[in-house]
Amino acid sequence: MGSFLARRIFYGALLMLGVVVLNFFLIRLAPGDPAVVIAGEMGGATEEVLEAIRIDYGLDKPLPVQLGIYLGNVLRGDLGESFFFNQPVVDLIGQRIGPTILLVVAAQVLSIVVGIFLGVLAARKPNGAMSAFVSVFATIGYAVPVFWTGIMLIILFASVLPVFPVEGMSSVKLREAAWYIKVLDVLHHLVLPAVTLAVIYLAQYARLSRASMLEVLGADYIRTARAKGAKERTVLFRHALRNAALPILTVAGLQFGNLISGALLVETVFNWPGMGRLAFDSILRRDYPTIMGVLFFASAMVVVANILTDLSYRLADPRLRGRA
Amino acid sequence: MKDPTPRAMIGRAARAPKAESPGREAWRMFRRNIPAVCGLLILICIVLAVLYGTLFYGGDPFEIVWAPHEPPGVTPEFPLGTDYLGRNILAGLLAGGGPTLAVGAAAAVITMGIGISLGALAGYFGGWVDNLLMRITEFFQVLPALLFAMVLVTLFSPSLWTIAIAIGVVSWPQTARLTRAEFLKIKQLEYVTAARAIGAQDGRIMWTVILPNAAPPLIVSATLTVGVAILFEAGLSFLGLGDPNVMSWGLMIGANRDYILDAWWPVTFPGLAIFLTVFAVSLIGDGLNDAFNPKLRSR
Amino acid sequence: MSLLEIDALKVTFQTRHGAVTALDGVSLTLNAQETLCVVGESGCGKSITALSTMGLIPMPPGRIVGGAIRLNSEDLTKASEARMRALRGAEIAMIFQEPMTSLNPVFTVGDQIAEAILLHQDVTRDAAWNAAVALLDRVGIPSAAERAKAYPHELSGGMRQRVMIAMAVSCRPKVLIADEPTTALDVTVQAQIFDLLNEIQRDFGAAILMITHDMGAVSEMADRVAVMYAGRVIEEGLADDVLDHPRHPYTRGLIGCIPSLDHAGALKEIPGVVPPLHLLGEGCSFAERCDFARQTCRARQPVLRGAAHRVACFGAQEGWA
Repeated sequence: MGSFLARRIFYGALLMLGVVVLNFFLIRLAPGDPAVVIAGEMGGATEEVLEAIRIDYGLDKPLPVQLGIYLGNVLRGDLGESFFFNQPVVDLIGQRIGPTILLVVAAQVLSIVVGIFLGVLAARKPNGAMSAFVSVFATIGYAVPVFWTGIMLIILFASVLPVFPVEGMSSVKLREAAWYIKVLDVLHHLVLPAVTLAVIYLAQYARLSRASMLEVLGADYIRTARAKGAKERTVLFRHALRNAALPILTVAGLQFGNLISGALLVETVFNWPGMGRLAFDSILRRDYPTIMGVLFFASAMVVVANILTDLSYRLADPRLRGRA
Repeated sequence: MKDPTPRAMIGRAARAPKAESPGREAWRMFRRNIPAVCGLLILICIVLAVLYGTLFYGGDPFEIVWAPHEPPGVTPEFPLGTDYLGRNILAGLLAGGGPTLAVGAAAAVITMGIGISLGALAGYFGGWVDNLLMRITEFFQVLPALLFAMVLVTLFSPSLWTIAIAIGVVSWPQTARLTRAEFLKIKQLEYVTAARAIGAQDGRIMWTVILPNAAPPLIVSATLTVGVAILFEAGLSFLGLGDPNVMSWGLMIGANRDYILDAWWPVTFPGLAIFLTVFAVSLIGDGLNDAFNPKLRSR
Repeated sequence: MSLLEIDALKVTFQTRHGAVTALDGVSLTLNAQETLCVVGESGCGKSITALSTMGLIPMPPGRIVGGAIRLNSEDLTKASEARMRALRGAEIAMIFQEPMTSLNPVFTVGDQIAEAILLHQDVTRDAAWNAAVALLDRVGIPSAAERAKAYPHELSGGMRQRVMIAMAVSCRPKVLIADEPTTALDVTVQAQIFDLLNEIQRDFGAAILMITHDMGAVSEMADRVAVMYAGRVIEEGLADDVLDHPRHPYTRGLIGCIPSLDHAGALKEIPGVVPPLHLLGEGCSFAERCDFARQTCRARQPVLRGAAHRVACFGAQEGWA
């Protein structure tokens, strides 16, 4: 297990190195002077600023040396300076990565738990009403643009049913409140963005776990469990679900990148102060160091999520444990 | 149910004497699938509307024609009302559908092109080719697709082509994995060995023997890719990364986003249009899946 | 009175050809501590009989439309699901054909046996685990305490079938149903499993209802034999009688299928296959494949007749086949 983890982390680090190299070449592939690209259109690209950038990034040196300098900077935790926000990119992202992780993890947990629950209910009666609902819901959930769902929810909850806040992550008026009030306030603000983001994946997980459960319920070991005299609930949730969860886990790992893409749109719609919102703001301003920094950290989140998925997969499936 | 007769033999199709070709049989199955047929009809209506609608109605969708925020159903000239600038929403829907669908279709073609080529090479040759290509695929799967596409579009200035290419460049990994899996499976079957035994070249085996037999899941995947690409395009336009000179459904939602609490209709109708299109496409995809999937045929 | 009585059991399955009769009036009796072998080709209804007794046929599409299954005079076809759960694993247990897939891959074998004990006995987890280890030891698994912590994929097919047997006998059931317990195993392992089943029967005092298509297994195990064909019992009697003096042409065909050293190379096959159940006609369902079939065979259904050794065949009853 330990060596597996070490190898997985090493491979993840290689992938991240790839992302850094990609970032480097993307800036150079863009039309125009890289210094101007880095400064950004809104960066007030005075000659001094451009000169500082050229020295900082070693732009007068040959390309391999430039790449070396860039890699060295990243390794030292320096992803450059945002000329729009006038802050190091790492600091900018540091302030915003927490809300994004909160949103993404909340949506992931919500969609998996509710999705599996609906899927299991549907699998109990493959031709029943719940099955029909799950497949219709899955098709609809797949087809709705996530930002539009968010907007529709805002319209609904802002005017018709004002029970959830539709914007931001915390209420200004609670700035002086006790910490647990603030936590509840954040969770209150989290409801709509998380639900918006979860709906698409929830539908997919429901459909997937229905199919997976149906397959597993036909397995011989399920018959064995029944032959022991196990209760239907035990058969479903203990014997079947542990096995049916394996493909769901795989998909959940693969979906994580998409979830972050979705979070980008949801954060923009709900003014959630996360990395997606930051990406949107910096793209409008052509603030490339920030954009590249967001791409780097978002990819890192996917890499970490993949490692965690692999680990949980090995915990869930004993057949994989012994192997490297 | 196993189908012992390969769908295509080397070169000319030498099929076992069977009453129906697989395509025809699939179409027969598809026709019996009511949701799928509905999806097809909806999609045909939408395509006809966005292709020819502007000839009969609308005019320039950017033109300010009326007072802002005219609700739908009040003025007969503007059945869906006007947006925050006083632009005709129905005209926007008819004009904006074309670019949305075109980008979706082009992006799907690019996605399938890259994905099938790389997946086929990896699955057919195996070994280090497979290893290398799969590592590249994994690398692309690490990059959050929408974010990466945003970066590409921003770097290379938005136009319908850069958007389609950007979507294609970020979405091919799944297709590549699917193609690889199919090729791995099919290359072990007897008729591929037979083709090799009579001296067919690798390229010929890949494209004329294996690919036609891998077609059903790839066709389904291509259909669903069109839906994903449309959603993608809408997301980019919504974020303001579309071509600013071309009307599109996503752009309409993005432009009216700040006024949603004053007027619900300018964002609702384009969203419904996107939903309906992708919904129709995915009904067709599901229908094709069922039609190609022998396990469901007997039902 | 017998321990288990299956009485004129009729089971149908809903298919796309309409309702198909899978069991058509099957009657069997199993006495305490004896072994009854039910033989026949695949599709003849042996497994449906076993699963019906366990109350495990999927409903729908399956449906018990007539007859009774009595365990100690209690009709299982009328028992509630809760009652069946209490009986299953405790009074009647079952061993399945595929040891490779019949154990849950994500739980240790010890856990799976302990679960069966915990379901029916009021003991602690530790006690159940210890009992599971003892059972594993009893079914001949070396270093049982270690192996109890193993997952199914870490054991061979023969070992897994031993685990299945340990699980099945864990609550000392009165009836043990074994559905082709050795079909998926190597020949050498098969013999070991038969020995184990015989030992278990002696020690635990269970009656065994064994489903098989292998006449070799019958000669190893059976006290009595029932031969099934197309959803009916067509011959029944003491194992020695049926094996040495088979009366139904189908039974004779089956016995001819045993490869033996005396008739090397003379492996006989019964021509044809079991007819699809939805195509069964009026007469004897074996008539199409029978060398002796006459007009009467195609017109009427023969019924089981005889005292100890019973047969459902006009030819055998009237002496011309």
